Amino acid sequence: MFKTTPTIRILLHTANLTVIFFILLPLVAVFIGSIQSERALQADTRRVLPLEATLDNFTVILTKGQQRGRIFDQATYLPDNIKSFYTAFMNSAIVAGSVTGLTLLFGSLSAYTIARQRFRWTLFLLQANIVARFVPVIVLMIPLYVVMRSVGQLNSLSGVIIAETGFLLPYAILILAPYFDTIPTELEEAARIDGCTRLGAFFRIVVPLATPALAACGVIMFIISWHELLIPLILNARPDFMTLPVVIASLVGDVHVFFNLMMAICLLALAPTVVLVALLQKYIVEGLSAGAVKG
Amino acid sequence: MSAGSFAFFMNVPTLLCLGLVLGYPVIYAAYLSVHRVGLGQLRSGVFAFNGWDNYGRVLEDPLFWVALKNTSIFTVVTVGSEIVLAVLIALLINQTSIWTSRVTRFLILLPYAIPPICNGLIWSFLYSFQFGFLNRILFSTGLINDPINWAGNPDTALYAVTVPYIWRTLPFAIILVHAALQGIPRDIYEQAAIDGANAWHRFRHITLPMLQQIIAIILILRTAFAFAVFEEILAITQGGPGDATWVAAWYSYKITFSPPNNFGMGSASAFILTLMVAAIALVYMRLIYRRVTL
Repeated sequence: MFKTTPTIRILLHTANLTVIFFILLPLVAVFIGSIQSERALQADTRRVLPLEATLDNFTVILTKGQQRGRIFDQATYLPDNIKSFYTAFMNSAIVAGSVTGLTLLFGSLSAYTIARQRFRWTLFLLQANIVARFVPVIVLMIPLYVVMRSVGQLNSLSGVIIAETGFLLPYAILILAPYFDTIPTELEEAARIDGCTRLGAFFRIVVPLATPALAACGVIMFIISWHELLIPLILNARPDFMTLPVVIASLVGDVHVFFNLMMAICLLALAPTVVLVALLQKYIVEGLSAGAVKG
Repeated sequence: MSAGSFAFFMNVPTLLCLGLVLGYPVIYAAYLSVHRVGLGQLRSGVFAFNGWDNYGRVLEDPLFWVALKNTSIFTVVTVGSEIVLAVLIALLINQTSIWTSRVTRFLILLPYAIPPICNGLIWSFLYSFQFGFLNRILFSTGLINDPINWAGNPDTALYAVTVPYIWRTLPFAIILVHAALQGIPRDIYEQAAIDGANAWHRFRHITLPMLQQIIAIILILRTAFAFAVFEEILAITQGGPGDATWVAAWYSYKITFSPPNNFGMGSASAFILTLMVAAIALVYMRLIYRRVTL
């Protein structure tokens, strides 16, 4: 774009290093925090790198508090929620997986008709989805809590799955619709002439062609759902039904939980989505711009 | 099957979902907001109509106005910084001849992968007065001699919580700006360079006008979402110290889900928040409407 003199190159490198430092700072902090003991963190509060590294924080979480290791030897109390790590991880996986599947299925059915059939009501539906994306979760959660409570659906995974699917569906439609619009209609028309039904043409011709968009949308849905706190926090209070973010939120303000243990459970909770982002970066980038710009 | 009934059939699941999880709750929130609803009423199932009482009590509550003020400051600071940073960093990672730019570009999406609640907790470790990682770095580089109470000082707490939020949501803005940058034809720049325009002129008269629309879109989207910030507040400050970081969503959450559990007032305050965000949403729709025709 412009001539890169040595001075400019140095400036650009410095700028990049600053940005990289800013990006990595919290990740370095969570990693270093997770391999320290409470005693080491308190002993020297001016040291960046730990005097000793330990995996005991992970051991105690992953063995449900059975193997306490050296640093938790003296500990008389461990929060129950730490012990339900596996349950929470499974709940998060079930919720995120189901929400991804449902939003992809419902979303592609809708996005396809919105892209193909230009009725006044499909345009209205698209506009409704654009507005729906803005609705703050908190305004939905108060009435949903009241309703779920009165029908006895509090403390269930299905309640959370239904709520998250409804909440994320508009966004899924916004990501998918522009892509379906770019798929040429000729192939479907040919299939229809050969006797394929509209639904058959959709599933056999359009869906396979839309794989990149479905991947982009699916990974974004999975990430948002894996991260969602407020919906499961309000709907599920029993440890059996908590998702990972809820378990982590329950540690906030627990005076007996120190940073080392918190950082360890955070690291375990963020690992799956970090892997997804690292592997599927290209799709996420495409999905994010499609969902924001092309309506 | 006709095209019309096919389209309707295809949209049944979406219409059901939108109605059940979005439409009905919003209407029901409006209903709750004009009724007296506490835990007792939830048990008995009888809600007494009380007109505009809840709205009156919310609007008379000084804490609500503090929350609104904090939310506004939070939104202006985060969205303002994000737009400036997103344009600068997008330009930076667009310099593919600089190898560090390629590294940045590879790492840029990483914060998007971090769950907001984890992000909050990580930053509460960074900010911790006694044991914090940030103070450790500043100590060991010799920049400070006494620890700084980043999130515990009422004067700085609100700004302290903006940084984690910016950190987590910036990738989205950068990606949109970067995509828009790549859509600008190169020959415009080449022509301008031939005509003798320097780098600043090219940025001011080519890049910036071409980015105008995407900047407006980011401005609106980020404003709407920053208005409803929740997780970082919960993890780092829980509204404190004092009421320094009470924000609108936190207000509705606390009023509703901690004793004395006033669901009516909570709904009223959440509904006020929704109306403000809805106004933003309408502007957004007008803006991208030309593109909505698909």
